[in-house]
Amino acid sequence: MEKGGLYIIMFSGTADKLIPLGVLTQSAANLGVPVRIFVTGWAMLAFKKDGPGSVNRISKEFEDMAPLLMKGMAEMKAPSWYDMLKTAKEIGDVKIYACSLMAEALKMKNKSDYDPIVDDIVGAASFMQMAAGGQVIFI
Amino acid sequence: MATINVDSRGSACPGPITDLVRAYKKANNGDIIELLATDAGIKADAKAWCERTGNELLGIEEKNGEYIVKILIKSKK
Repeated sequence: MEKGGLYIIMFSGTADKLIPLGVLTQSAANLGVPVRIFVTGWAMLAFKKDGPGSVNRISKEFEDMAPLLMKGMAEMKAPSWYDMLKTAKEIGDVKIYACSLMAEALKMKNKSDYDPIVDDIVGAASFMQMAAGGQVIFI
Repeated sequence: MATINVDSRGSACPGPITDLVRAYKKANNGDIIELLATDAGIKADAKAWCERTGNELLGIEEKNGEYIVKILIKSKK
C-alpha cells in the first residue's frame, strides 16, 4: 500500500464507536487515502454475518445520551456506519480484516461467518506489517 | 469543458465530499463541478479535498444557509 494510509484497529463493538469508524473511513476514501481496518475484540460481533444491522448498543457511560444522538442522526437521515463503510469501499481503497485470534475465540473461523464487507481473516502480525510507519488509530 | 451540478443539500459530512468524488470520477480536466450543500463543514472540506487531489477551488458562495462550491477539475490522468 502506498504511503500515507490510515490504519484503524477497531476494538469497540458499540454503535457510538462504529459511527466514527464509518465517518473516518469514508472521509479518508474521499481524499484518496487508503484505509486498512483490523477488526478485533467486541467489534467482531458487529461484522458477523447478519450482524451489522443489529448493533444498536451504546457505551455504558454514555447510555443516557444515546436517545439524543440516535434521534439526531435519524432526523438528519445520516447513513448508518455500515453504509458509510460500504460507500468508502465503493469509492476508495479500503480493506477490512478480522483478527484470527478473536475469530477462533468467537467461533468465527470461516469467511462465511462474516458480513461480505470483511475482506479476509488475518493475524495481528500481518496487520502490524501493513501498518508499519503509517498512521494507526485505535477505536 | 462542461459544468457539472451536484446537489448535496441535506446530506451531512462526509456525504457531500463523497458526492463530489462521484462526480469527479466522471469528469474531465477543464470541467467545473458546482456543488450545492448545506453541511457547514463543506467550506473547509472542499478546500482540503482540492489540496489533496490537486484540483482548483474557484470559490465558495454562501447564501441562506446554502453553500455553492465551484471547483475546476485539473488532476484527471
